[in-house]
Amino acid sequence: MYRRLLININQVRNRLIHTHNTRLTLPSTKCKERESFAPVASTSLSEDKGKTPEETEVNAEVNTDGQRNTEMNEGTEISNATLTSQLETEPVVKPEDRKQVEKTKSGKESLLELLGAMKVEVTTVRKIRPSKTPRMSERPDQEPMESTHSMFQRATAEGSQQHGTLNPELVAAVSAAASTLPNRHQAESELLKQLRKHEAIPDTQRRADIGHIISDMKVGKRPNGRSNVRPTSQIRFDDDGKGYTQDRGITSELDGVRRRKSPFTSKRLNLFAAAAEQDALSDLGPTLWDIDLANQIVQATNQMPRNGFEEMIQWTKEGRLWQYPINNEAGLEEEASVPFHEHVFLEKHLDESFPQQGPVRHFMELVITGLAKNHHLTVQQKKEHIDWFRDYFRQKEDVLKEAEAYLN
Amino acid sequence: MASSCSQALRHHVCKSSRILRVHLQKAWPNRSFVLNPAADQQPAVSSPEEEIVIPKKKTWSKEAVLQALASTVNRDPTASDYRFQDDPYLTPKTSSEFKLFSLSQESGRNAAKYFISTYPKYFQKDYAQPHIPCLMPETLEAQIEEVSEAALIERIQMRKVKAAVDLYDQLQQAGTPVSLDVTNQLLDLICFYGDCDPAQENVPEQRNEETEDVQDEPQTKKGRASKASDKLKAAWKENNNAERIFALLSEPNTHSYSALIRGMVKYGAYSKAFSTYTDLLNNQLKADVSTFNALITAAPEVKEKYNEKWELIVDLLKQMAEQKVKPNLLTLNAVLKALRRCGTVGKSQAFPVISEMRALSIDPSLASYNHLLSIFYKPGAPFQGQTDILQEVMNEVSGKSFTPQDPDDAQFFITAVRICLDTKDIEQAYRVHELLGVGENWRLLGNDFQQNIYHARFFSLLCMMENIDVVLKWYRDLVPSVYYPSSNVMRDLLQALDTDNRLDLIPQIWKDLKQLGHGNRQTLVEELLTLMAREKQNQEVQETFAECALDIKKMYDTGDRGKVMMSWTAGSLSDLVSVLLAAQRRQDAWEILKLFKTHNRVPSEELLDKFLTCIKESGDVNQALELVQISAGFCLPGTPKLIQRVQQEFLLSEQQKSMLSDLEIQTFNSD
Repeated sequence: MYRRLLININQVRNRLIHTHNTRLTLPSTKCKERESFAPVASTSLSEDKGKTPEETEVNAEVNTDGQRNTEMNEGTEISNATLTSQLETEPVVKPEDRKQVEKTKSGKESLLELLGAMKVEVTTVRKIRPSKTPRMSERPDQEPMESTHSMFQRATAEGSQQHGTLNPELVAAVSAAASTLPNRHQAESELLKQLRKHEAIPDTQRRADIGHIISDMKVGKRPNGRSNVRPTSQIRFDDDGKGYTQDRGITSELDGVRRRKSPFTSKRLNLFAAAAEQDALSDLGPTLWDIDLANQIVQATNQMPRNGFEEMIQWTKEGRLWQYPINNEAGLEEEASVPFHEHVFLEKHLDESFPQQGPVRHFMELVITGLAKNHHLTVQQKKEHIDWFRDYFRQKEDVLKEAEAYLN
Repeated sequence: MASSCSQALRHHVCKSSRILRVHLQKAWPNRSFVLNPAADQQPAVSSPEEEIVIPKKKTWSKEAVLQALASTVNRDPTASDYRFQDDPYLTPKTSSEFKLFSLSQESGRNAAKYFISTYPKYFQKDYAQPHIPCLMPETLEAQIEEVSEAALIERIQMRKVKAAVDLYDQLQQAGTPVSLDVTNQLLDLICFYGDCDPAQENVPEQRNEETEDVQDEPQTKKGRASKASDKLKAAWKENNNAERIFALLSEPNTHSYSALIRGMVKYGAYSKAFSTYTDLLNNQLKADVSTFNALITAAPEVKEKYNEKWELIVDLLKQMAEQKVKPNLLTLNAVLKALRRCGTVGKSQAFPVISEMRALSIDPSLASYNHLLSIFYKPGAPFQGQTDILQEVMNEVSGKSFTPQDPDDAQFFITAVRICLDTKDIEQAYRVHELLGVGENWRLLGNDFQQNIYHARFFSLLCMMENIDVVLKWYRDLVPSVYYPSSNVMRDLLQALDTDNRLDLIPQIWKDLKQLGHGNRQTLVEELLTLMAREKQNQEVQETFAECALDIKKMYDTGDRGKVMMSWTAGSLSDLVSVLLAAQRRQDAWEILKLFKTHNRVPSEELLDKFLTCIKESGDVNQALELVQISAGFCLPGTPKLIQRVQQEFLLSEQQKSMLSDLEIQTFNSD
């Protein structure tokens, strides 16, 4: 029952949000709706009277809103015109009702209390304060005279005006409950109003309330839920079910309280001083044992790639794949520290030991030009290249001098 | 430099914009309201005092891009394992195929590696630029021939125990001193391999050993036991090379002792390890963490009583504290593992040990939790009296991503799910499964064999505890992309179908069964038939049942491809007949009925009775008579009743009547 009520409240809330929006944007249609509703709803006098207070309320609202909504006022004026005749009868009825209300008040209050008590469990909405009851009793002037039928109509009408409708099932339940009380109609209307007031509670508050209840429920359930470890042969029964969990009485609850303290926070052995800091890793790299441990771990775990990317990661680790982010100098680590001018400007290597002019010099200039453009060789290799020529020309110095090609 | 530059620039921009504004306002005073808002905002955004912080250049690890990409890929429950996706023909459908294919893949790799390493001269061309070392052949032969310390180091690195020992002896004889570090490395090597050359497969290459593990799978526990006994066979020998070389050392240090003690513990010389430790203390040396870890592992072996074992462990821990040795995670795990063998002491001391390690900022790994669970939940023991340790452990671990730190880490998931299965705790099982999905935890599920165990336990628990819709959801998710259920688990599934009254799914399950290679498991197939024959379903379902039954019959007929032949039993045949009769397939049923005779089985009376009712519906008098004849042929006691029914319910010709009366007399006589 409570659950259904909760669900119902949720539904109503959704609808409420919806109707709220339409109300804000289209006030004039609202009035029309009501206007069309009035003739359809019923022909009985009391029903229409039930309507009137709201009608006047809306009118008041419209008036305070001022000139901007003049077109809306036009809409309501029509409805007002149809209703004024009925309104005239109202003052006559009122005094009688007031008396009745006074009489039934004690019964009503007890009923409200009952309802309030119920609600605490359902939604944890604040309990009905005594200050509220008088405010309520101002309004229900005509209600004692209404039939259940018209009551229902009114409920739906009001719901659509203010907060969306109440579930007909709920209304039926309320009327059934009310029928057990002496003043039937009075009680019923109060009940319904009370329910509707629930709907009127701001959404945010409600949501928080519901969240609260749910969290509360959990807290209540957990400790009981799993206090006994069942033997293998015994099938676990639903925690909500009766009969199987009865043996968990107070003891199990105490159990739960005790167990909230996790065993992981139990006392320690107090063998070590926490500050004892000593690194024994003075050795040269990992020993055979360390390697073996790593190896065992690798074997124990699942190293199989699950998709192509993981396989690529594995290949990257093995060094089989070009590394991301892509770098076209990968693998040229020893060249990374060599600036480009070392590669390009090689004249400085020609200075001392080669002739300053002549064919040999000319030849060597051509060589370094070629070397400067060669990107396959490292600087060291280029130097070696030049050194080879240096040696060569030094060996052939005699011949060159004879040919007068070696000019120093 | 750059920041100051940009600051100067900003200054300039601000000034010029201000000048511009002044000019604009002068020029078009009327329009200034349009320009003002935009112009006013500018100095607010870039005030001159504001400092630009240039972020540091971020160096990405080489796998970062790939890791990010890999995290976007989810498991596809319809696809097979990634290993098999290259060739759809080789997609495994049964667990044996899975084993076969993954093993052949591994062995192919190993064969290639073997050839490259055996004939390195043919694989010298280096195509790769930059050079890829792992693709080049490994050097397996020692390069340095002379007798020197360098040669000894080389042999140690190549893990040639015998050669290294020989070389060490030669060096000793030649009087060349060997440094203590190298000697210690040699001791490590000898102790690690227990003074034997490692087998070729045991070269630390994960692939090799993995296949070994997989090969052990079919034998399950037996295989493991034999493996363990292999290790025990290579026991620590008295006065082996390690002890001899150790004795030659003039001043052994902590490392030397550590190597010796660890070797002794590894090869089962536990008490010797403790006496070596006493030697160490007598020499005024301190032990290191790994020595203590080894000794703690050995502690339960040298004492008999539970509390003596525990006292020894506490004593060792105290000595660690005295020698100011900081314990590590492996210490914690060693203690917990030892506590597994300390009975009730373990239960009381396990949590204090964990708290102690926590205080030293050592976080437990999955192996610690595994030991903890094993301490509290002994397999086969009743679970009364344990509070929910599993729940507590799950509260601790859930949502965390673990990195492998201990070889025992991979046992956790199996243990946890075993406990869930034993305690029928589906809630915790879901939590365990959820944990598996966090981060890299899936790696800790272990190898294929362990994955199989895990999934089998998880799935049988599901079959037991969940309603059939949930079970089928998991079934579709797990089978066959990660798990190939065994016939036992499939029977659990059938039972789950039965309890939730969803027998109409049986034909579907049968298809899967066939694909999983359980089509020739007699008990399973018979159970399937019984379930189908037991109750009368609606017409549509009966029709599919009949198709399924005929398919099963085919399995009985064509069992010739090297598979185990199933043999018909009276029960399976009569189930088959009743399934077919329920689907109004009288002709097929008649064929099956004939099989009773060919396979020397006897049909039950109820079956023949049922059959007769079915014949009566079609009014086939001849078949009814044949049925009676068959019944008489089996000398069934119910034959007279059948004859009576036929006489009453069918319109018989004179000839038929006389035939029946003949049969009646025959059966009467035979009685």
